[in-house]
Amino acid sequence: MDITGTYRISARREVVWAALNDPETLARCIPGCKELDAKSPEEMAAKVALKIGPVSATFAGTVRFEDIVAPAGYTLVGQGNGGLAGFAKGRAVVRLTDEGTDTILTYDAKADLAGKIASLGSRLIQSTTRKLADQFFAKFAETLGIASAVSDQSETADAADQEAHST
Amino acid sequence: MTAISDSPFRAANQYIGKSLPRPGAKRLLAGRGRYTDDIVVPRMLYAAFWRSPFAHARLGAISIEAAAAMPGVHRVFIGADFAAICKPWVGTLSHFAGMKSAPQLPLATEKVLWAGHPIAMVIAETRAQAEDALEAIEVELDELEPVVDIDAAQLPDSTLVYEEAGSNVIFRTRIESGSTASAFEDAEVVEAEFRFGRHTAVTMELRSILADYDPSDGRLTVHQSTQTPYQFHDIYARHFGLSEAHVRVVAPDVGGSFGMKLHLYHEDMAVVGASILTGRPVKFTADRMESFLTDIHARDHRVRARLAISADGMFRGIEVDDVTGVGPFSAYPRTSVVEGNQVVRLIGAAYRLKDYRADLTVVAQNKTQMSQYRAVGHPIACAVTERLVDLAGARVGLDPFEIRRRNYVTQDMYPHKTPSGYSFERLSLEECLDKLHEAMDYEALRKDQARLREAGIHRGIGIATYVEITNPSPAFYGVGGAHISAQDGCVLKVTSSGGIQCLISLSELGQGAEAIVGQIVAEGVGINPNLVRVITGDTDMTPVGGATWACRGAGIGGETALQASKKLKGRILEIAGAILQCSPGKLDISDGQILDQGGNIRMSLGELANLAYFRSDLLPKGIQPELTVAHHYAPSGYPFAFTNGIHGSLVEVDVETGFVKILKHWVIEDCGRILNPLLVDEQIRGGVVQGLGAAFFEECLYSKSGQLLNGSMADYLVPMACEMPDIVIGHVETPTQDTELGAKGCGEAGTAAASGAALNAVNDALSPFKASITQLPMTPERILKALRVV
Amino acid sequence: MSEQVSITVKVNGSIVRRMVEPRLTLLDFLRRDLGLTGTHAGCEMGACGACLVSLEGRAVHSCLMLAVQADDLSVETIEGLSENGSIADLQAAFFERNALQCGYCTPGVLITARDCLSTGGVPSRDEIRDALSGNYCRCTGYEAIVDAIEVVARMRAANAEGSK
Repeated sequence: MDITGTYRISARREVVWAALNDPETLARCIPGCKELDAKSPEEMAAKVALKIGPVSATFAGTVRFEDIVAPAGYTLVGQGNGGLAGFAKGRAVVRLTDEGTDTILTYDAKADLAGKIASLGSRLIQSTTRKLADQFFAKFAETLGIASAVSDQSETADAADQEAHST
Repeated sequence: MTAISDSPFRAANQYIGKSLPRPGAKRLLAGRGRYTDDIVVPRMLYAAFWRSPFAHARLGAISIEAAAAMPGVHRVFIGADFAAICKPWVGTLSHFAGMKSAPQLPLATEKVLWAGHPIAMVIAETRAQAEDALEAIEVELDELEPVVDIDAAQLPDSTLVYEEAGSNVIFRTRIESGSTASAFEDAEVVEAEFRFGRHTAVTMELRSILADYDPSDGRLTVHQSTQTPYQFHDIYARHFGLSEAHVRVVAPDVGGSFGMKLHLYHEDMAVVGASILTGRPVKFTADRMESFLTDIHARDHRVRARLAISADGMFRGIEVDDVTGVGPFSAYPRTSVVEGNQVVRLIGAAYRLKDYRADLTVVAQNKTQMSQYRAVGHPIACAVTERLVDLAGARVGLDPFEIRRRNYVTQDMYPHKTPSGYSFERLSLEECLDKLHEAMDYEALRKDQARLREAGIHRGIGIATYVEITNPSPAFYGVGGAHISAQDGCVLKVTSSGGIQCLISLSELGQGAEAIVGQIVAEGVGINPNLVRVITGDTDMTPVGGATWACRGAGIGGETALQASKKLKGRILEIAGAILQCSPGKLDISDGQILDQGGNIRMSLGELANLAYFRSDLLPKGIQPELTVAHHYAPSGYPFAFTNGIHGSLVEVDVETGFVKILKHWVIEDCGRILNPLLVDEQIRGGVVQGLGAAFFEECLYSKSGQLLNGSMADYLVPMACEMPDIVIGHVETPTQDTELGAKGCGEAGTAAASGAALNAVNDALSPFKASITQLPMTPERILKALRVV
Repeated sequence: MSEQVSITVKVNGSIVRRMVEPRLTLLDFLRRDLGLTGTHAGCEMGACGACLVSLEGRAVHSCLMLAVQADDLSVETIEGLSENGSIADLQAAFFERNALQCGYCTPGVLITARDCLSTGGVPSRDEIRDALSGNYCRCTGYEAIVDAIEVVARMRAANAEGSK
């Protein structure tokens, strides 16, 4: 599953970058986040409650920052164990560019599900992830004290989001 | 319906061949069916399984202490617990030389092989408590690269599903007859690559098993939703080291099987093992998601095939390459190679051909295991063959009916051996073809089609011939070492009031096995079918036999019942003759009365039974009161009794949306002597709809990481009433001479050719657009892709 | 794990009082607690129709209801409908036509058929197929079921005519 999106945030890039690297801010903005503790500058332990289709569970795992290029972007790599619900792995490449006093944030996210959540939720993973992303950025903007981050332009979604190899 | 029969029974009582309703249906209509999950025994515990979320992983530590302490939990098991008491099983058979397959134990020990592989098992007072406890289990899993692609799996650098095999290829074979090289020289060639979606049975009743081991006398009783209690009787005894005499397997009412419930599942062995280890009854019923993840899958094939023809449309040769991606191990005990084996032996079988070459490659994957499911291989062989035949017809300008008529095996060729080694006793290919042409009113359909095309409405007409394996001999499994019987046994007991109890080794799944046996026994002995009670499915009661699969019930089971009833009639008349002091040859039985040659009633069967059971003092000297007979019958003529038939399909394709409306479906079928037309028709109808599901809806979709993505009935589409057509059925009867009854099987014929006919129909609808499709299911997206709209 | 709750349900004409967990489905309550095994589990998500029962006279999926939601309500299952004779003509027609094979979907189909015919009149075959589109059957291919329902619809309409 592969989704991309673009947001325009009415704040300067340095501000956005700082917020994106602050575990407290992230904890507040990630939908369903129960815990997010920095274990090292690059790695955080996380507990996130997720509901995809009929399956809801708390995913316990890690979120790591990789390929950090301040203040242009980084890659977030997360993986969580949802117990009986299954496993979720995700990777999001986040890029920030200046546009006047605004920042354009683009993300390119890939997710891989395993277990019950894959069998029952695959059809909904794309719409759910997009909804979660929207929730994140709405909260993010609110945290920065600005009007909600407008989702800019078309979001190209990978048509073969199921990665079924016999299509 | 043409009644072709020279049976001596035709004249007398005439229950055989009658459309009588099934006595067993009344209970089911009242909601009094007794399916395995309905059965409750004292102190029963319920099982739930912790399953691997990954398709391929190394299994590390499993922590179960917290789970074991939870409310209602009796015990938590892991792999080592069952490894200690259960002999591993390996799904290979010796007549498939070179097969390799990983030995299996009830719960995973070192590796997990598919997403859904059971790793731990909780037994508790309720299923809910067992599931609650599952949440407290922690399992260490080290993900490995899953094998999910049939081509990548064969590359030298591919991860291996089973390292010791050295390769992911479980089995390979080549069939060669004549010389296809010369057949293809200077010939017109039509060819295509076909893909068939992976299926699962989606039976209404989910798999269910209740095992009850009594340690005080070492007896194991298993109630199981299964098609074959005899096979499981043998398996549980052998693998758990129990004596067969102390094992009982009962198949209660079974809510659909279609072959799926023939195979051994890890959960079955775990439940039996758990009962043995705890001395408590243990029940497991799969939920629908578990069913999608663990029930055998089928039909995952990629077939490349080509047909060489001469300029006037005569078939010269066929070449086939079939690669099938199965599961991580071969199914037990029937293997995962039979489906492919049948595909490559059935392609082209109905046609005159000497030059044939087929390669089969069976590849292991980290997906759900695959094995026999209704019509095993026939739907694929039929779709491939019949599509090529239509392409050939189009190439040389011959109508689909005409090109088949020209190339069929003809009446003067029987007995006929196909290039792949199958023997046909006698088929009715041309007669069925002609009957279909008439039943469809083919000319009128073509006229309608032409007229509607001008209005932008695109109808398609497709036909597909099939030949079908029924009445299998030991050549199927027995010769390979499988403890699967090809014979049946029947015990008949006269009751003291003149009824008959019939215990027979067939299985009743709703198809009507008990009903037809009742009709046969009634006619064979000479009493009303209402007085015959047929009992099946209990290894403590019914003789060892083959049960129900591969359309063997009517032909083999029926013959067993017929010969048993003749034996019983002879016995009865011997006793009657002695009592009445006349030759048994001068007596007959009709409607439960013993008659003399003048047609006078001399005594009733009830009176005779009374004498035999309670007044043996009145029996003449030398006469034993023996009113119980047993008879076993093993097929000995042709290795299979082939049936044949042909399907017609009429569809309407919306070329803007890709949606297909199935307007009508026809079947002309020849299953030999028909025992009950009502039941045959409904078997055909059910089979057709399953085949149409294959054609348009059903496919198990996997991700690149081996996850089943549509493991629910919301996402795996099955045919529902509003999408299905009415189905017109006609019959031809070509009895087999191998048995007195002359019956062949009919249970799978509907599924064998329905998808092939639909495939041809859709292609016919798309032909003005020079578009073609050779992938099932034909989803709207694939049809639009074929039309180059998306 | 939560406290059990008391419910009072009229089941097949008899008042039943039980303590149940809030999370218990109506389906499991009927099958397990009351031994009414004629209603079946097929998918636990309302897609197959095997679990249909008649609640206050209307067909509902018992797998999608909690037992506590049936408190103070009236439920009829296949056993009750069979014993009170209200679907005898449907059962007879299904029997004659062999409109069932394994029988697992049959109780749910009969509940749907009863609903479908409750408004009177003779539905067309397409209308019957539409009414059945929530009942999954793997054995019959549906046509025999449609035939049987059609026969009963005609018979009932003829009887209604006759008694005018």
